[in-house]
Amino acid sequence: MLRLSFAVYACIAWLLIGGCVPGSSMEEDGRVTIVFKHGKVFGDPRPLERMLRRFEEMHPAIQVRDEPLPPSTDQQHQIYAINLEGGGEGLDVLAMDVIWVPEFSRAGWIRPLDEYFSSGAQALFLPNTIQAATYQGRVWSVPWNIDAGVLFYRKDLLEKHARPPPSTWGEMLDTIRIVLAGEADTGLYGFIWQGRQYEGLICNALEFIWGNGGEVLAADARHATLTMPATRDALSFMRDLIHRYHVSPELILTADEETSRHLFGTGRAVFTRNWPYAWTLFEREGSPVRGKMGLGSLPTFDGRTPVSTLGGWHLGISRHSKHPEAAWQLIEFLTSSETQKSMTLATGMLPTQSALYDDTELLAVQPILRKLRPILAAARPRPVTPFYPIVSQILQSEFSAILAQRRPPHIALQSAQRQLERLLRLDPL
Amino acid sequence: MNSRGDTRTAVAFLLPALSVLGLVALYPILALFRLSFRERILPFGIDVFVGLNNYVTLFQTPRFWNSVAVTAYFAVVSVTLEVLLGLGIALLLARSFRGVGWIRALILLPWAIPTVVTAKLWDWMYHPDLGVLNFLLAKGGLPPVHWLATPATAIHAAILADVWKMTPFAVILLLAGLAMIPGDLYRAASLDGATRWHMFRHITMPLLRPMLLVVVLFRVIDALRVFDLPYVLTGGGPADATETLSIYAYKMLFQTFQFGYGSAIGVVMFLLVALASIFQLWIGRNDFRRLVGRAP
Repeated sequence: MLRLSFAVYACIAWLLIGGCVPGSSMEEDGRVTIVFKHGKVFGDPRPLERMLRRFEEMHPAIQVRDEPLPPSTDQQHQIYAINLEGGGEGLDVLAMDVIWVPEFSRAGWIRPLDEYFSSGAQALFLPNTIQAATYQGRVWSVPWNIDAGVLFYRKDLLEKHARPPPSTWGEMLDTIRIVLAGEADTGLYGFIWQGRQYEGLICNALEFIWGNGGEVLAADARHATLTMPATRDALSFMRDLIHRYHVSPELILTADEETSRHLFGTGRAVFTRNWPYAWTLFEREGSPVRGKMGLGSLPTFDGRTPVSTLGGWHLGISRHSKHPEAAWQLIEFLTSSETQKSMTLATGMLPTQSALYDDTELLAVQPILRKLRPILAAARPRPVTPFYPIVSQILQSEFSAILAQRRPPHIALQSAQRQLERLLRLDPL
Repeated sequence: MNSRGDTRTAVAFLLPALSVLGLVALYPILALFRLSFRERILPFGIDVFVGLNNYVTLFQTPRFWNSVAVTAYFAVVSVTLEVLLGLGIALLLARSFRGVGWIRALILLPWAIPTVVTAKLWDWMYHPDLGVLNFLLAKGGLPPVHWLATPATAIHAAILADVWKMTPFAVILLLAGLAMIPGDLYRAASLDGATRWHMFRHITMPLLRPMLLVVVLFRVIDALRVFDLPYVLTGGGPADATETLSIYAYKMLFQTFQFGYGSAIGVVMFLLVALASIFQLWIGRNDFRRLVGRAP
């Protein structure tokens, strides 16, 4: 009896001690464990898993603990903030939405990578992705994949009515009018995009604003420029697509990427704006629009060049990481040309190294890359400022008010301008 | 009986519960108040005492007043509908007929479904193309409505989903309240020749009043804090038309890490809920005493 209870006490003590020392990152055999947190960015998790195992084979001294996060980017953002602001050490490499990079660097959550990421190595990447990773003259992350807004159109309908893919908004409006007049299907919509009150609305709006020569923030990100006429006209045009030209249905105000993809993917729209991921799904076996659609740059306003919003995920190193060297090796491996190529072949992710867009083997399997390359390379990062999430939050509310005709553009934009100026004044730098 | 001794015993018994409450309720509330007097924005790396500054900004921000109005409208309309519908259904189900047991059990179903699932369910029903609501409109020869796409319909769509989900809660509590009314009263009344309306007016309503007040109290507290249903349906849009105080606070606190300002919204919400509760407890002070059966 006594012996038994002693054994029980010993067990409890052992558990308690064991429980108090969190998974030490230096194992007995000298191997280093690094923790890699990321959302499930590429759908099927197995290709990434395989890459991580290959990395461990190549680096026997490093073990990678792979910790997928919940699918919602909002939640990922919060988990990072809580972990990193709390100084937690259970995180070495993290995958970030490109818009978080300046925020995380300014908050002191991630390390600058200048000592690892040489300018020679940076030159291998698409320049706009490096621009999005650079804040206050230092580089903070390595681009893992890239995204940009593109136009999908119904090739079959355009050919039937002898219309070329539109290069300006005016042409698109004409084409929609002609196609809808010629088609018996009354349920066919003209142009579907993302107008729900969320980050996607800002991605869409920036394409209209930049495409019209407007801006939301000055180049130094210290002042708001929402009262520019070009910005106001762009937003008026977005509202008019719904309420004046009636080419976009009112349901746009609730549409996110998936709603849009579903509508276009079931043959309900002539045009849609989305990210390139939709291509593979539209071309899937059994898809009603398979083989019937084309992809191109977004239209723009007369005499201007089209601009797409840049998206994508970047890899960075936590400021509290005990093993930045090992963490860097993992990042270097994951963003290397070979790994990116395997990942693109396996998942259709869009690579960030420029040379891969000339890779014949890759182009043979993913011919769409040839078409995407100029669009991706010209895509523009959203304002590279640590306050981007705050800026976006203010713009979401006011832009949505314009689209819902709750406030006329000049009033909503003045209100956004005032709110942004107040916030920017709080910045101690 | 020594009332001072009673009090001492009561305090001793309450102490463990009170200390747990202090830890999990009082401390976070105090921390919230403290934070609301600071300008703390994570990406700016600032954390300074600013007194009432956050409140001044808050009261000058139209978006805040919008969220107050949205919350109040949501609470008043949804609670009114839930209580009236709940009362009607409870009166029907209080009678005995074949299958009433089944119906009483089934009616709880919407309440038992997790809110996020409810929201997704309604999201599909409101879908402009595939939703059952527009299907029915089309059957009746009416044009489709984009339920969640205009400010005026979006808020009512959220209210309707909430009414569907929370009416069963009112039904169950009111059924319990009806069961507590002694049947003798009705028998005596009918001997005296009282009509159904008289019985309802002079027996049912007065005796059900305490339970009605409980239902209203619970529902108002819940409705003033509503978050998940409108958040999943619309994310607060379009044009902030469904942005309740909770959603606004969430966006400021956890999407943009403006902890000071977001906490000020939290404090306002806390005070609003507290005032509403105190007011209702005061209105029903005699009824609640009767309900918990405290000796006079």
